[in-house]
Amino acid sequence: MEVNGQLALTVLMGVFLIAVAAWLARVEDWRSYTPLAGGGTVGGTAEQYVSEEKPSGVIRWLTTVDHKDIGMLYGAYALIAFAVGGLMVVLMRIELADPSMTLISNTFYNSLLTSHGITMLFLFGTPIIAAFSNYFIPLLIGADDMAFPRINAIAFWLLPPAALLIWAGFFPIPDVIPAQTAWTMYTPLSAGVGSGNQVNAGVDLMLLGLHLSGVSATMGAINFIATIFTERDEKVSWANLDIFSWTILTQSGLILFAFPLLGSAIAMLLLDRNFGTMFFSVDGGAILWQHLFWFFGHPEVYILVLPPMGIVSLVLPRFAGRRLFGFKFVVYSTLAIGVLSFGVWAHHMFATGIDPRLRASFMAVSLAIAIPSAVKTFNWITTMWNGKIRLTTPMLFCIGFVSNFIIGGVTGVFLASIPVDLVLHDTYYVVGHFHYIVMGAIAFAGFAGLYYWFPIYTGRMYQVTLGKWHFWLSMVGTNLTFFAMILLGYGGMPRRYATYLPQFATLHQVATVGALILLVGQIIFVWNFAQSWLEGREVEDGDPWDLADDDLTTAEWTWFERKLETAVTDGGEDETELATDGGQAVDDADADSADDA
Amino acid sequence: MDEAPGLSDQYRTASPWPVFIALGIPISELGLLFDLFPLAVGGLLLFGGSVVGILKESGYVTSTIRAVTALAVIFLAFGAWLAFTDIALVTRGYAVIAAAILLAVGGVVFELFVREQRQTF
Amino acid sequence: MATKTFDKDTILDLTVNMVPLAIILFFVVAFTFVNPFGFESLTSGLQYTLLIAPFVLLAALTYLSGKAIAGSEKEGTVYAPGQATVPGAKPLHEEEGEEAAELEESPDDDTVEAADETA
Ligand code: HEM
Ligand SMILES: [Cu+2]
Repeated sequence: MEVNGQLALTVLMGVFLIAVAAWLARVEDWRSYTPLAGGGTVGGTAEQYVSEEKPSGVIRWLTTVDHKDIGMLYGAYALIAFAVGGLMVVLMRIELADPSMTLISNTFYNSLLTSHGITMLFLFGTPIIAAFSNYFIPLLIGADDMAFPRINAIAFWLLPPAALLIWAGFFPIPDVIPAQTAWTMYTPLSAGVGSGNQVNAGVDLMLLGLHLSGVSATMGAINFIATIFTERDEKVSWANLDIFSWTILTQSGLILFAFPLLGSAIAMLLLDRNFGTMFFSVDGGAILWQHLFWFFGHPEVYILVLPPMGIVSLVLPRFAGRRLFGFKFVVYSTLAIGVLSFGVWAHHMFATGIDPRLRASFMAVSLAIAIPSAVKTFNWITTMWNGKIRLTTPMLFCIGFVSNFIIGGVTGVFLASIPVDLVLHDTYYVVGHFHYIVMGAIAFAGFAGLYYWFPIYTGRMYQVTLGKWHFWLSMVGTNLTFFAMILLGYGGMPRRYATYLPQFATLHQVATVGALILLVGQIIFVWNFAQSWLEGREVEDGDPWDLADDDLTTAEWTWFERKLETAVTDGGEDETELATDGGQAVDDADADSADDA
Repeated sequence: MDEAPGLSDQYRTASPWPVFIALGIPISELGLLFDLFPLAVGGLLLFGGSVVGILKESGYVTSTIRAVTALAVIFLAFGAWLAFTDIALVTRGYAVIAAAILLAVGGVVFELFVREQRQTF
Repeated sequence: MATKTFDKDTILDLTVNMVPLAIILFFVVAFTFVNPFGFESLTSGLQYTLLIAPFVLLAALTYLSGKAIAGSEKEGTVYAPGQATVPGAKPLHEEEGEEAAELEESPDDDTVEAADETA
């Protein structure tokens, strides 16, 4: 048995490697007789050959190092993860519609809970941000591409294996069950100690996947820092840098300090689980894990929220008919949040019995960090004040963002106060707090971006009415679900349980209804997105939002305008379509397909 | 800068290596963690080969064989560290050493046969 | 006189980060006077480090970024953020320079400089 297994694996691996080698040989050959179409540039660069072209079809997407294509890949990936994580939670919410265990087992509930959290944070949140930053940062700062296009591609391609590993427990693999550690992976549970089933390899697989996604995020962050520092157009000085780039720069700095720490903590946990080390099982080991985890974990929440704030700061003024009020306030408070987010981590550990003097300091910094967040909120509101508001779908999502962020932020400030936290910790109040931000704000900003830039990356317009439906269902659903959770928390309902006392039933049912409303909204979104992409009205105007009327055009739209112009002068209809699908110059695409054949 | 749109396409916008680097890492990690010899060796080969490929392609190294040798030496050291020190993860160490040797052999074969052929194109 | 990087406008912009700095400072002082848990060198040392480290880092980053931004405002043309490469975008300097000249009655060094630049 054992030997047979090894043999089978060896054969499989061998065949796979040979297939890879053969495929590479073909691709390399194809490249070696690629005509040196670049002409003049050949002499100028150190590169041995310049292939202006991309192959066509699937191979193009597998081999691309173009920042726009990689942005599209990130986006597709993130939306798939969003669907997976969303369906997981729909199942959980249905289970919670009545107090006892009915639809799914408690252990399966725990597995879904764990996977939902990790999927949404690491496989949806970070990648959807990377989708926008990859596509638009180079355009916004006037760079030709990212500083390291190949590293950019590697960073993306680490993510699909990461997802497979994280979800591996759900696949029908013998003897592997999904992790039930929750996304915080507290030891000793996650170290496999005790009578539970968390020694299972499913936890190891999930840890490996998480580790990979961290490596990916770190590579991306290095790339963005290098790009924003070195690849800016000479006209784009620090004073001219747009707000989205500022938030991505700050976010990348946070990633650079936070993710390697998570990586090390995960490596230590894997060693504990598999090689008999004792990092987290000695005295104080459990609290050590919490410190390491939250030193990463709190910056992580700002890693997720800063770029969405950047998107809102960029998009909201365009539909308020004026520039962002107090632009520099927003920039400096972004940086302040970046620094302070490393000084608040133990506000997640107020209830662990750490020294009260330390708790006091963490509380102080947590209160201080609320200021820059509030400053931004005031700036958004003041930008809209007396503005020429146009309630387009992206604008609605921006306003929804501000509204939800206020509730999420205020509940956060309350949690940062030690006495309040000792009452509310580990209740649904906390779940309500952070979902107002992760769903109500981060996902909303993602949608704002997806709608705002839809014409750029598809060449078409979405269906406006469906967009509005999507917004209103999301807004109502979010507030219904998560406000009910805040109330549940006041009532003392603890989080992370598949069953509950009957007295909580009504509010749980409200939350479930809210979740179902959200589901309907997202189905409309998927339909609108897919159908408009394929059949929507083609955009012929490089300024579909009429930004020029208020002198609010930003660089990515002028890039788009020029792209449309060249597409028109180059030829007919078909080619416009080709161009829309990835934003490459049209004639190249044609040459490619000829080449590949 | 008033360049034509899509100038970024003048970079070489395609490279076959990133996917395989990204696949090599998890495969070798799985192999080493769960002590699955073939996965460890295969993953490391995939990873090492692709790293050399991408370095060569982007002009960071000029000689394939030297890059391969350097990587093989690193693998060898890592494998020896696993197998022959107190850590005593013997089978995993052997897997890394095997990958180092295969990588070196592969490099030599490429240097002697494949590269020559290519140049006659 | 060397051009002042931190002119009035820049300092006004930076006040936004002085508020959290002030809050942290407030707690440093408060914890010195109100100290119900007693003093113990390791823990109390950590307690103050946890306040002072973020304070210093935030002050440093604010200073550096203020310098970078204000410095590049002095050196190059300033456009609305994200619009520098937009064809036909108007530099901001002109508008702001005019406003400043109108608003500030007493022509101190700063306005003279600003006026010079726009001229
Ligand atoms: C206004 C600033 C904020 C403050 C003062 C704050 C404060 C807190 C506190 C004290 C907790 C711990 C509650 C407990 O477990 O007892 C908490 C939990 C949490 N917060 Fe916030 N928060 C803020 C903003 C944010 C933002 C922007 C995000 C997301 C992007 C976020 C995401 C979370 C998450 C995910 C948790 C739960 C972690 C867990 O236990 O699983 N918070 N917040
Ligand atoms: Cu936190």
